[in-house]
Amino acid sequence: MIAVSHLSKVYGSFKAVDDLSFTVGPGEVVGLIGPNGAGKTSTLRCLVGIQAPSAGSVTIDGHDIVKDSVAAKQQVAFMADEPNLFEYLTVMEHLRLTARIYGAGDIEGKARTLLQELQLTGKEKALPSELSRGMKQKVAIACGLLHDPKALLFDEPLTGLDPLGIRHMKETIVRRGRAGAAVMVSSHLLHLVEEICTRILIIDRGVKVADGTMADLEAHAEAAGSNLEEIFLKVTSREGSPSA
Amino acid sequence: MTGAFLYLTACSLANRVRMRVRRLREPRYVIGLAVGAVYFYFVIFSRPGSGRGHGTTVGIAAIAGSAAPLVALASVLLLAVVVLAWVWPSSSRAIVFSRAEVQFLFQAPLTRQQLLHYKLIRSQTASLLVSLILTVFFRPGTFMAAWTVITGMWLLFGILNLHFTGMALARASLAEHGVSGLRRQWVPIAVVVAAIGAIGLALVRDGARLSTLETGRQVLSELGRVLTTGAAGWALWPTRAIVRLPLAASTAEYWRALPGALALFALNYIWVMRSDAAFEEASAEQSEKVVQGRLAPRRARVTAASTPFSLAPVGRVETAILWKNLILLGRYASLRTLWRLVPMAVALAVVASTSRRTGLVSVLSMLALGGVVLIVLLGPQIVRNDLRQDLAHLALLKTWPVRSAALIRGELLAPAAVLTGLAWIFVTASVLLMTHVPANAEGIALLVLNRVSYGIAALLIAPPIIVIQLIVQNGLAVLFPAWVVIGASRSRGVEVMGQRMLMQAGIWLTLLIAFTPAAVLGGLLAVVIYLATGLVPIVVPAALAAAVILAEAFLATEALGRALDRTDVGNLEPAD
Repeated sequence: MIAVSHLSKVYGSFKAVDDLSFTVGPGEVVGLIGPNGAGKTSTLRCLVGIQAPSAGSVTIDGHDIVKDSVAAKQQVAFMADEPNLFEYLTVMEHLRLTARIYGAGDIEGKARTLLQELQLTGKEKALPSELSRGMKQKVAIACGLLHDPKALLFDEPLTGLDPLGIRHMKETIVRRGRAGAAVMVSSHLLHLVEEICTRILIIDRGVKVADGTMADLEAHAEAAGSNLEEIFLKVTSREGSPSA
Repeated sequence: MTGAFLYLTACSLANRVRMRVRRLREPRYVIGLAVGAVYFYFVIFSRPGSGRGHGTTVGIAAIAGSAAPLVALASVLLLAVVVLAWVWPSSSRAIVFSRAEVQFLFQAPLTRQQLLHYKLIRSQTASLLVSLILTVFFRPGTFMAAWTVITGMWLLFGILNLHFTGMALARASLAEHGVSGLRRQWVPIAVVVAAIGAIGLALVRDGARLSTLETGRQVLSELGRVLTTGAAGWALWPTRAIVRLPLAASTAEYWRALPGALALFALNYIWVMRSDAAFEEASAEQSEKVVQGRLAPRRARVTAASTPFSLAPVGRVETAILWKNLILLGRYASLRTLWRLVPMAVALAVVASTSRRTGLVSVLSMLALGGVVLIVLLGPQIVRNDLRQDLAHLALLKTWPVRSAALIRGELLAPAAVLTGLAWIFVTASVLLMTHVPANAEGIALLVLNRVSYGIAALLIAPPIIVIQLIVQNGLAVLFPAWVVIGASRSRGVEVMGQRMLMQAGIWLTLLIAFTPAAVLGGLLAVVIYLATGLVPIVVPAALAAAVILAEAFLATEALGRALDRTDVGNLEPAD
């Protein structure tokens, strides 16, 4: 579903992503983790077409994100860490606009269900300035889920959510994965990644340092019985980290 | 504690200067600085009578030396500013602390007096800078005159700043204590009211004499006499005492005026420090609003109202973007936007109608014509509910499954539709209101034909002209995102001013290039028709020119679409 091949992203002389390759299949929930500045957000942005790769290729459902961008973007949704909403559109208007842009058809009923699922019922006519950060995050996620994308990319999806919101969000992500979507979740919350992801990709300084299930990572890091935090610290330590 | 405040102020200033200098590494700022510096040089030093190096009394000194009533008028102006501030308070005059100041200072063990001291210290930097700039503009002829102007201005702004601070505190006190607050603040309020009354009364009493005077100089002189004697003289004493400093014609006069100004400074200072208003909460709230305001202008005005039309679930993406941007205009547009055009339209009409006084209808017709010109030529710069706003959301737009050319066309639709609608209304009004009706029937028929022809030609040509300008404005934002204002961000400085001047020159050059083929083809067609029929055609060449410009516009959106595809979100960092 998501195929990344030798992806590199360079800013001036700084290489944010360096020859990164991986795939995310239907039904997989892949956690993307790494230290600050590891290249997680750059990777996600290249995956969704916000930024053009400096080298390599990204395909979504078989469509190249650069050469066939409209078809590729039709199949993907990206939920950024900072909700990017139009200040002058209400919640419902955001959903209507998104539906029209993605050609999702009549979404009134589906929108109601999504708003209920994301605890936004009653906020249909609210402007972003009237919403808390967590609620804005939920609106952005509702917009992303509206057209049933085959690939879902979440960047720090739990930021600003209350405990109940966190629980609902985790359920939403897992449910989408089980429904057959290819899901990537970038987060610093390692317990979240460990809990909901079927596979974990660790990158550091733009380079993939580990990729696999928890069992694979334990074996890779030679740290049987360790939790993700211990494995993460071990594989991303600056002194002689093992390469994947 | 003052030492810590001075340290913070000095560090902030030094770092700001360092940042400005550092950004000169970027060509856009160096070029902008060069253009801005050249502009300032010509504006300041190339005016007639600059007399540099000859000790000639010029600028403010000359004005002050030759026209004593200027002091009286300046004092009235200053009083008007103060009165307006009392009657029509602006949120910008509230005691605003930055987010960082709220974070660090409000939770620190500081008294409210210390916080006020801090604000006063911080405001001195800006006051001094403004004073320096104004002094450069006024160009005092000698060094002595320069320092009296600088320090005079500085003290003037210092007193004003103190007064506005006291005013904000007084308002807070009134809000906090209600009627009892009014009792506490009655002295300054009574002083302002009494001053207005005294001046008004003096002018009314002298009205008959003023109306008999013939020359402007006589009126000025009489006003100077009225405003410096009697009750009005006393009422204006405070503001006169302040403006006398920067307008002092000699050093001796400056020293004579200084004690009065210092006394006013002290009085305002005591007033501010004695105020019991709790400003911290309001200031923190205001600071948040300022930050939010930078992200979304006029946020406070936005309310969820009805949409311009109901968006169908399926259809062209351009229509969806038009719908979105019309909502943006509908929820943010204020009457203030329209009011900005009114004075210019009135001025144009007055100038145009002075040559032939044919009554109110003619004036209205010219007013409408002026409106057309302003809408078509300035509208695309003012109405910005297009990609110039949305580039701030480029990361989101880039995730949409939409061709970039279609996105750009959709973005242009809303401002184009609004401006075209306005232009058409004004064109129609102008044509209908035209006067000079001939006496005979043949003349009337010709007149109607002419009016209709010009009207149709204007209706045809206005939309393409608007669209091509919008494309140029948006195209520059796409091609040179670092050079234009995106969203609500604002930069300051000579270099930024120079950048904007260069951008404007670029816009006019691009428009010239865009209009040339249309003008040439339209003109050729007009010549051909004239040679064939003997008639001077208007509508057909205008239609051809409009078609040519629209074709160019379509091709331009395709090219810009490809450029937008290549635009990196990272290049659109907000201006500092």
